[in-house]
Amino acid sequence: MTDIRIAVQNGREELERGMHTLSGALQHPETAYHLPIAFALTGIAVHDADGARDAYAKAGSHPLVAAECLRAARIAGQGPDPPPYTGFVPDTVIRKLGYTLVDGSILGLALLTGTPDSPDAAAAIARELQEKYMLTFLAGPVVPILQKAGVKVGLDYRLVPLGSTPDAGVHFADILARVAMMFGGVSPGDAGRLVAYAKERARAFVVVFPGLAATDVAATDSLRDLGIPILTAGGYEGGDWIAVSSGQAVTRGMELRQIRVKVTAIPIPMACSPAFEGKSIRKEEMHVEFGGGRSPAFELLRMRPAGGVKDGLIRLIGPDAGEMKPGSAVPLGILVEVAGARMRKDFEPVLERKIHNFVNYGEGTWHVAQRNLIWVRLAKDAVAKGLRMEHLGTLIQAKFRIDFPDLLDAVQVTLITDREKVLAAEKEAEAVYRERDERVMGMKDGDVDTFYSCILCQTFAPNHVCVITPQRPALCGAISWLDGKIAYEIAPAGANQPVAKGRTIDAQRGEFEGVNEFVRKASHGEVSRCALYGIMEYPMTCCGCFECVAAVLPEVNGIMVVNREYAGDTPMGMTFSTLAGTIGGGAQTPGFAGISKGYILSERFLQAEGGIGRLVWMPRILKEELGDRLNTRLTTLGIPELLGKIADEETAPTLEQLIEFLTRREHPALSMSPLV
Amino acid sequence: MAEPSEWTGTIGRVVLGATRGEGGTRSVQYCIGGSRDLPFLPDEVPCGKRPLIAFEICDDPALWPPVVREQVGDLAGDPAAWAREAEKAYGADLVRLHLTSTHRRQVADLEGVKRTVESVLAATTLPLIIEGSGDPAIDSDVFQRCGEAGAGERLLLGTAEADRYRSIAAAALAYGHAVIAQSPIDINLAKQLNILLREIGVPADRIVIDPYTGALGYGFEYSYSVMERIRFAALKGDADLAMPVLSAAPDSLTVREVRDAAPAERQERALSWEFHAAFPAAVAGADIVCVRHPLSVKRVRDACSALSAGLKGTPAQGGG
Repeated sequence: MTDIRIAVQNGREELERGMHTLSGALQHPETAYHLPIAFALTGIAVHDADGARDAYAKAGSHPLVAAECLRAARIAGQGPDPPPYTGFVPDTVIRKLGYTLVDGSILGLALLTGTPDSPDAAAAIARELQEKYMLTFLAGPVVPILQKAGVKVGLDYRLVPLGSTPDAGVHFADILARVAMMFGGVSPGDAGRLVAYAKERARAFVVVFPGLAATDVAATDSLRDLGIPILTAGGYEGGDWIAVSSGQAVTRGMELRQIRVKVTAIPIPMACSPAFEGKSIRKEEMHVEFGGGRSPAFELLRMRPAGGVKDGLIRLIGPDAGEMKPGSAVPLGILVEVAGARMRKDFEPVLERKIHNFVNYGEGTWHVAQRNLIWVRLAKDAVAKGLRMEHLGTLIQAKFRIDFPDLLDAVQVTLITDREKVLAAEKEAEAVYRERDERVMGMKDGDVDTFYSCILCQTFAPNHVCVITPQRPALCGAISWLDGKIAYEIAPAGANQPVAKGRTIDAQRGEFEGVNEFVRKASHGEVSRCALYGIMEYPMTCCGCFECVAAVLPEVNGIMVVNREYAGDTPMGMTFSTLAGTIGGGAQTPGFAGISKGYILSERFLQAEGGIGRLVWMPRILKEELGDRLNTRLTTLGIPELLGKIADEETAPTLEQLIEFLTRREHPALSMSPLV
Repeated sequence: MAEPSEWTGTIGRVVLGATRGEGGTRSVQYCIGGSRDLPFLPDEVPCGKRPLIAFEICDDPALWPPVVREQVGDLAGDPAAWAREAEKAYGADLVRLHLTSTHRRQVADLEGVKRTVESVLAATTLPLIIEGSGDPAIDSDVFQRCGEAGAGERLLLGTAEADRYRSIAAAALAYGHAVIAQSPIDINLAKQLNILLREIGVPADRIVIDPYTGALGYGFEYSYSVMERIRFAALKGDADLAMPVLSAAPDSLTVREVRDAAPAERQERALSWEFHAAFPAAVAGADIVCVRHPLSVKRVRDACSALSAGLKGTPAQGGG
């Protein structure tokens, strides 16, 4: 057992002594970067021992500089290792390697060094690295041991034998240094940028086998300065190396550097593409169905700690699709468990909604609604071609991994078709749904300092900017504040960007300095002020996707809301589509706003104009859709009677009838402060 | 429109082609971009001649417009000779080589692709645009070879798209070239792609925006307005859109109006169709306009010169 701390100290001293006695010319063939580590760290082009000592001093006696110089001296004295060892890798090869790294054909770099106890375990590590598109470098006795275990080495096998002795491992660092200078725009001598580049861009880790000499321990250990984690499966203790079992070394190393293998094809016996999203499976085409009021069914996505999810695990509890009676309704529980370093509990409901899309991507699977209201069907054709429940799981699992590569490290899916077990699990799910509702309901604009933008619609409404807050969903109703947040985390250059609220200009109408600034930029200078909680002054721009239009009716001192589904006339004498055509396209139209249905129930609804008490008219179908939720909202406000005072197309189809209706019912808007 | 002094942004500069002094073998180096105003206004001041006219050739003419093949005859089968002709006879500023051979299924001869690039580099001394792979599966191999073949020449490599930019970015970074970033007539996607390229390490002075240009009657007006909007955004200070613009309307010579024209009129119709996308693209601010008909080069150049001359006080001559 080697004590790392002691070895590092002894190794550093030994390297230092080596530097003192160093002599002669030092140079590597076919490179424009001299001794690359020294050159990158200090800007000194080392060609001889004195230059080496200057660079070593300038680099603060960095062990990697010493190791590089001593390695160069050793090659100068003894000649390079014979093939298959590569020794110092020339620039042209590095360019190609760097190319494959940027290009994504290799995902990261690994170094294996030392003397493995178990040839088979070492071979398993090497093969796993190959399978996971890593480019692996080898230094020291690990090379012949791997070869003896039947592993082929060479650049073509993505296993590069740098040298017969562990000191060749320093080439790993000179390769990183050159990649940083060639691809990362790091100038020689800019040590700070080199370290930053290595930490952020070079997805590299080291696995150390036993038996390294003190100098090699010291050099390897100092790779940590470049943000490179050192893992070991035994033989070392006492330092900052990460102890792992040899079976876990690759997975752990890749996790630490956030290297993720891309899933490309989903192994299921049916086509899978967004192209199938809109298809439906009619009763005659259906093999079985789940939920939809015919049997209990639910879906739930939970986040678990890293160790608690086995990526790719699909379980079925209960009968499989082939055993189900054709045409029947069967209970179903879809339980998706995910883990990921960047995953958060807040994201659960947003990801859970993706199950709907994913299941619909399958050519023979269909899905509607959410939570414990889901309704799923499997097509006869698909089941005849071999579709089973596990494939539904594989589809969901794989799509999550493909679509959220940076967020999720592991996904497992459990499908339950056993009635008793579905009912039991559904109870737990309901508790989770409740908890989530309370959390989202509880989120207030005042609790956050960042809103999110959405400019998805700028393709057709060039200057439109949606600002999404916890209490004001996007006007299309499709994107909540949490959705915006997660979308930004998933695609930092995408259509949803964080908007710092900044100083409050007017709390009542919801005008914030940061929002104004953002909107001015994102609208290409067209809109310079945006009030989030009102429609009279500086309302938000409208694209064309809004669920509803809110419009001022000056004659009754109130505001009406009309939804897209309502085809009839409004008291304004305009239909939804006429109104939409008038206010859309990215314009800011005082007195009018495009809003989501959800916003009607928000505490911030029409805050600038005095709140929901201004609401004088909305179509019956919208009232029915909001139903209980509107009732609850009004009851909370202590004005349950308001519902009966809001007119609709039957009670007040025209403005005259509206005035008459509101007066008769004593609508509060009539006595509120004048709107215009 | 805003007064010149109100613009806060400047279009970034991109340098194309390297002469012997800069480590390449080109006879000329171009600087594009640098403008601080709308195109053709007196205060625009681009850093070099604008627009540059790129003549497009290919290494497998099977999919090339018949009207061009008719004009150039055997040259179509010989990219090197064609490139030489583009420089000497047509008067192009740049040659844009489309590696159309990579559009065929199962391209085996990747080394052949590299030899083609080398032969074109040897045949012309103009800076080159190389339009790479036709198949994502071979992007990595094709761009690596193109990049390597033109190392030191400061090529402009095409074409990066939002879901397909890594190989081309890698080739640009590894071998010192610039890239064309194409988005489907959408200012936000153009911006997003530029950010993606920046994040992978491609500096802004190596990016040329191709907002995608539809042929006249086939969407050109959308392309025109997106070019305009990119220019406005850049001049208003959006650094992620402040790159020079390249415009090519490759469908101009194969639209129905050209195909169905009477044989005697077909060449003129084709020429006219290409001109009426290329010239307005230059007016919208494109720094490079690409053409395929040999006679288009002069026609577009004369029209643009007439426009510039008009600005300098001489009455504009009817272009074209």
